[in-house]
Amino acid sequence: MLLREGLAGLLEDAGHTVVARVGDAESLLAVVSEHEPDLAIVDVRMPPTYEDEGMRAAVEIRRLHPATAVLVLSQHVESRNAVALVGSGGGFGYLLKDRVLDVDDFLDAAERVCNGGSALDPEVVKQLLLPPQEDDALAELTPREREVLGLMAEGKTNAGIARQLWVTEKTVETHVSSILAKLGLLLDGDTHRRVFAVVTYLGGSARP
Amino acid sequence: MIGAMRGLRIVACGIALATTAELTVGLLHVLEVIPSRERDWIPLAIYPFLALALLAPAVIGLLIALQLPCNRIAWILLLGSFVPSVQLSAEQLFGAGWSLQSERATIPLLFAWPVAVAFVFPNGRLLSRRWRWVAGAAVVSFGLTVAMKIFDPVAIEPPNQGIRNPVLGNHLGEVIENNGLWIPFAIGVLASLLAGVLAVALRFRRSAGIERLQMLWLVWAAMLTPLAIGYDVLAGFLLGGGGAISFMLLVAAEVALVAAIGIAVVRYRLYAIDRLVNRTLVYVTLSLLLVGAYAAVTLALGVVVASGSDWVVALATLVVAVAFRPLRSRVQDLVDRRFSRARYEGVRRVRDFEEEVREGRREPEAIVPVLAEALRDPLATLLFWLPASATYADESGALVAALPNDGRAQFEIEREGARTAVLVHDAGLLEKPDLLRNVLTAAGLSIEIARLRVEVRFQLAEVEASRARIVEAGYEERRRLERDLHDGAQQRLVSLGVQIRRLQRTLADEARILSPALDQIVGEVGAAIGDLRQIAAGVRPSRLDDGLAAALRDLANSSPLPVDVDARSGRVAASIEAAAYYVVCEALTNAVKHASASKAAVSAVRENGALLLTVSDDGIGGAVARRGAGLAGLKDRVAAHGGTLEIVSPSGEGTRINVAIPCDS
Repeated sequence: MLLREGLAGLLEDAGHTVVARVGDAESLLAVVSEHEPDLAIVDVRMPPTYEDEGMRAAVEIRRLHPATAVLVLSQHVESRNAVALVGSGGGFGYLLKDRVLDVDDFLDAAERVCNGGSALDPEVVKQLLLPPQEDDALAELTPREREVLGLMAEGKTNAGIARQLWVTEKTVETHVSSILAKLGLLLDGDTHRRVFAVVTYLGGSARP
Repeated sequence: MIGAMRGLRIVACGIALATTAELTVGLLHVLEVIPSRERDWIPLAIYPFLALALLAPAVIGLLIALQLPCNRIAWILLLGSFVPSVQLSAEQLFGAGWSLQSERATIPLLFAWPVAVAFVFPNGRLLSRRWRWVAGAAVVSFGLTVAMKIFDPVAIEPPNQGIRNPVLGNHLGEVIENNGLWIPFAIGVLASLLAGVLAVALRFRRSAGIERLQMLWLVWAAMLTPLAIGYDVLAGFLLGGGGAISFMLLVAAEVALVAAIGIAVVRYRLYAIDRLVNRTLVYVTLSLLLVGAYAAVTLALGVVVASGSDWVVALATLVVAVAFRPLRSRVQDLVDRRFSRARYEGVRRVRDFEEEVREGRREPEAIVPVLAEALRDPLATLLFWLPASATYADESGALVAALPNDGRAQFEIEREGARTAVLVHDAGLLEKPDLLRNVLTAAGLSIEIARLRVEVRFQLAEVEASRARIVEAGYEERRRLERDLHDGAQQRLVSLGVQIRRLQRTLADEARILSPALDQIVGEVGAAIGDLRQIAAGVRPSRLDDGLAAALRDLANSSPLPVDVDARSGRVAASIEAAAYYVVCEALTNAVKHASASKAAVSAVRENGALLLTVSDDGIGGAVARRGAGLAGLKDRVAAHGGTLEIVSPSGEGTRINVAIPCDS
């Protein structure tokens, strides 16, 4: 409740319009179909059971309203659900709640998702990347390449990665093509599709 | 009331004794100790039968009266034998003339008691109020016939023609005789006999249940009398007289009738008379055997040692003393086998069963079907008393809310004054209390053992169930706590951070100087959230939200060791998944910390309703579950779910932990 108001304020401060604020999955689906917003920010836990109503509502929203992107906020990392969600296509984001406190990053992620991109929490990515198994192709990556792969998985663009690592976009591109080669992924430069492939690859490797 | 009962018993004994005294006088006559002027007195060969015929009703009457002093049939039998026996001492008391005169007159009285019994058998009451007239007419007929015949003025028949009738030619007697005044009453006597037969026939037709059985006894025995009479008549035609054999048959029929009446009347307390007969037989036989043994030893030793020596007496006594106990049980066995078959076999059955239990071939709980067999009541069941929960349970340990209320009888079994069980049995068994008591006494130990086992099993199940409930409640509590941490404190902290961020963004330019401090505060808030997340994860691994298989994979991923995971268990109860998760957690930690393992493998499968978990490593081995250590804690955790944990850890060959936890469905 408190967080919802704070979050709405944050978004409005940043120049976005908040069309509705609701407290449960049923009313959420109702207002989404009424307003068809660009983005729905959904808490995983909602009444009545506080289990995974938010997760199911998110999938439902994407199914019924492809124009509405969904950003799911979770209280803790559930990598399987996160990977399943983000790996299923664009327009999905999965972040821990406290990412909100890094306002710029959060708004950036929200915008990415709105534009058909993805956002996967760094914590989830960290779990996906650990540990390097002996027979794993990931073991062949250099530490820097692994870092870049993590940021790719989070949904960042090459420019975003370059900004974060304090390198040029050109260097990032080199790393990316090296990584894709090592993992045997054949992709064009499209950031969004790249994310699905990487996430799917990592999610798949975590589930032998 | 009790005093009156005692008085009645004494009177009954008195009558029986008087009858015996009369018979003794008769015996002295027969043995010619007391001279008699009457000729044609009873011959010596016949006398025992006559004595038996008179004594039988007295003895049975006495036996019934001792138990049921108010029973009318007892008194009919006692008086029925006493009155005719008075005749035997009449000569001593009133002289030979009166003796012969009264003998002639009282012949009808020989039939009086069977008629009386026929009227009131088996409950001592007449069939209906109307039968009071019939009974009254019978009493008048018998009484007046006898009274009138006492005045019979006719001389005494041969061979006692030498003895004078004391009322010879008296006027009253002449009037009665000449006018045939006695004839209607004699007809009345005959009619009473027929009425007696009719009464029995009617009663037999209307009877049911126990009364029916009683009537069967009587009718069966009463049939013997016509048979005996039939033989007498037939023998009269063919052989010119039945003689001694007819007489013996008649006596036998009478004795049988009396015995049948006795059995039928004391049916409820049959065991008492039954036991009396049993004990009498045992002790008479035993006494004879012991006396024989004593005599044999005395004689045998008398040849060797000088007879009359103290040694001989001492030795013979010793032999008898030593032989007493084994002999007694042998004789008791023999008599039981001969005369109380059901009881003998029932007790035997239970003893055989105890032997089988001792040899480990049967479970003590099988006493229930064995009892049913021994008591010949296939539906008999035993319900064990569980004092701790104040309820009954059957042999499988299932609680019984209430004792069955289906008309069956219940027998409470006690041991040292404490209730152990209740036998629910057919009400018919109440009529064989001896069988019931003896079989239950023999089975006492088995019943107590079975009860203890049922009780222990029941309590164990209770404890296991409560332990499982406690563990389940523990998990539930952790889950609630974890949720509270996430949805309460964490949520608040995040929203606090958001408010600070908004505040930061709306700061006026001159206040921008505060921004780094606010950044730091938000950083602290973020750290607090991280801490909180760590705590919540420790309380209950949220990884389990996605099921055991996913949690195990996450666990393997976060382990510094390469861990091969084979998880195909599907979803099971959350508390069991948690237990399994902690087992793997602890086992992998051990593999890293203590076993110096280089790799590990985890498998979780479901087989035959159980979750089978195996964690193995290639470390140094030698792991044991020490009290208070991690592995012992795991053992308890697994046991709480009714599962088992096995550690195979030979030194130098790695460690393998096998866990099986039952999970229904």
